[in-house]
Order: sequence, then C-alpha cells, then structure tokens
Amino acid sequence: MDIDLARQAQAGDESAFEEIVRRYSPRVFSVASRFFRQRSLVEEAAQEVFLKAYTQLGSFEGRGSIEGWLTRIATNTCLNILRGAKRRSEFSVSDLTEDENQWLEQQPASQGNEERSFVSDLVAADLADRLLSVLPPEDQQALLMIDGEDASIREVAEATGWSESKVKVRAFRARRKLREAMEKLLRHKDGAREKQVIK
Amino acid sequence: MKEKHITEILDNASIVSLSESELNEIRAHAEDCVSCRGAYEAARLSAVVIRSRVKSTIEPSPFFHTRVMAALREQQAVESVPAMLRLWGSAKSLVSSMAVATAALAVLSFALPSPAIPASDQAVSAYSAESVLLGQANDDQMSYEQVMSTIYDDDEAK
Repeated sequence: MDIDLARQAQAGDESAFEEIVRRYSPRVFSVASRFFRQRSLVEEAAQEVFLKAYTQLGSFEGRGSIEGWLTRIATNTCLNILRGAKRRSEFSVSDLTEDENQWLEQQPASQGNEERSFVSDLVAADLADRLLSVLPPEDQQALLMIDGEDASIREVAEATGWSESKVKVRAFRARRKLREAMEKLLRHKDGAREKQVIK
Repeated sequence: MKEKHITEILDNASIVSLSESELNEIRAHAEDCVSCRGAYEAARLSAVVIRSRVKSTIEPSPFFHTRVMAALREQQAVESVPAMLRLWGSAKSLVSSMAVATAALAVLSFALPSPAIPASDQAVSAYSAESVLLGQANDDQMSYEQVMSTIYDDDEAK
C-alpha cells in the first residue's frame, strides 16, 4: 500500500523510499519530459524532485496519493528550473530547420491522416518545443497538460496548485499565442512559396 | 455563425476537443472568411505539434533509483558534518594564507636589522606615532625635558 510505504519512509526506512523512487520514477519522468526534452535535463530534474520529496516526507499526510503529491513537487520543481532559464523573445520563420520546413509543407496533404511516422512526430515535437519556448513556463504547462494530455482544468489545478480560473486563463492565452505564432509561420511560408512561383 | 469570427472558439478549447457540429460551423465560416481560414489551419497544426510534443516522453533508466539513493546518501553525509567543521573546510585556505602573511610580517619586523636613525630624527621621535598612541605625548606642546634635550642634542652635534 502507498500509505504504508510513505509511513515507513517517514520513519527513516531507506528501502521504503527506494521503493517509492522505483515505483514513481516513470510518473516523475513523464512530468519532467513535459518541460525538458534532453535526457540529462529530465534525469537531473527527476533526481531533484526525489531529493526534495525525501526532505518533505513529513508534509505528506496521506490524504491524497503519493503519485499526486510527487506530481505536484515535480511540476513546481521543473517550473522553478525553467523560470531561471532565459526565454526566447520570438520565433520566426528563419528559425525553422530544414525538417520543420518540410514538415509544414506536408501538412495540408496529411490532413486527417492520424497515422504519422516516428520521425514526423519528432520533427513536430521539436517545432512545438521551439514555438512554446516563447511562452512563460506556466502557460506552456497548462497548454501541454490540457491540449496534449487531455487533462481537465481541475487536474491541472491540482497538479500545479493554481486556481481553476488561473488555469483557464493560462491555457487560453497560451493557445492563442501558439496559434498566432503558427499562423505567422504559415503566412511567411506561403509568401515565400508565391515568390518562388513568380520567379 | 457565418458572420461571427471563429478565433474565440479556437482559443477557448483544443480543436481536438470540439464537437463535430462545432467543427462544421467553423469550416463553414472559414470557407468565406480568409483570415479565419488561416486561424483554423494554424489551430489545427498547433494541436498536432502539441500532441507530438507530449508523446515524446523519456523513460527512467534501470539504474535511476540507485543514482537517487546515492545522491541522497551523499547529501546526508554532508549534512551530518557539524557546521563549524564545514565552515572550517571552506575557510581553511583563507585562514592558512593569512597566517603565513602574518608570520612573514613578523619576521620582517623583528628579525631584520633596523636602519640607523640619525640623532636629530631620534629627538623628533618624541612625536612618533607609537608615543602618541601610547599616550606618552598627549599634549600638543613639548614637555620641558623634551625642549631641553632637543637644545642640548643640537649643541652637541655642532
């Protein structure tokens, strides 16, 4: 049982804490992966989460699940790390890689086709990462959880500790900014294509 | 619906969570409205990239828990060392370099022979910094003995 494991760890049983790490590291990695894409950064963040969890074991009262408690620590730890990082001011069409350019070109043709290749997914993920990097980390998280993982407003509020109205505002703002950035990219690309045709 | 722009609907919820009737309304409007068509296409692609981004998660390595436990033990070891010892550990080099500098100054001050001071300078030394600090010459005016010794020393020198 989760609660027994937490009680044992609180009493200083290291093997119980090790079992918590083993059992919940996939969940913590999944949260950290939402923030970072490099393995080393994800591992570093996840380790920090568990070290923090160990020192805060006393604050776990057993009312919720260990998973929920760790998810909240993970979200806040990763947000803190990201807040310290420098944010991009803008993402323009000139920042697109060759693969991303090609991916955008192919999109109208693949409309409705849900089966995408692994490589295509990676390129799209890279593009998402770079487009999201202009948003505040909190807005990125709200959007990735709601639109990416189908989390409810309440679930995001629980994981982050924000109010539900704050989550809604953040998601709305992030969605609009992302759409506008994408629109701008598409417009630039269409403009460039037209120029090429005229030549 | 045809007259109303659709950007508000697109920003309120993910495009994948919209119902078929909502999507039909959006498409119908986008057919006639160029700016909304662009917004709809951008929202559709945004949803695709967000889904792809979330799909790419990193799994923990089989040794991750070992790494965490090692880091935990290391942290505990650091915390178990008394604070004064930790302070000493970080200040050790600074303290030892200060001790060396003090010793070097002491050697320079006491072990090396001091240069010969002319008699006239010795008389003036009644006003030296040491004597002032030690309170031997608190007054601004010279004492009687100092005046006399100054006169006779000068006479003898001549």
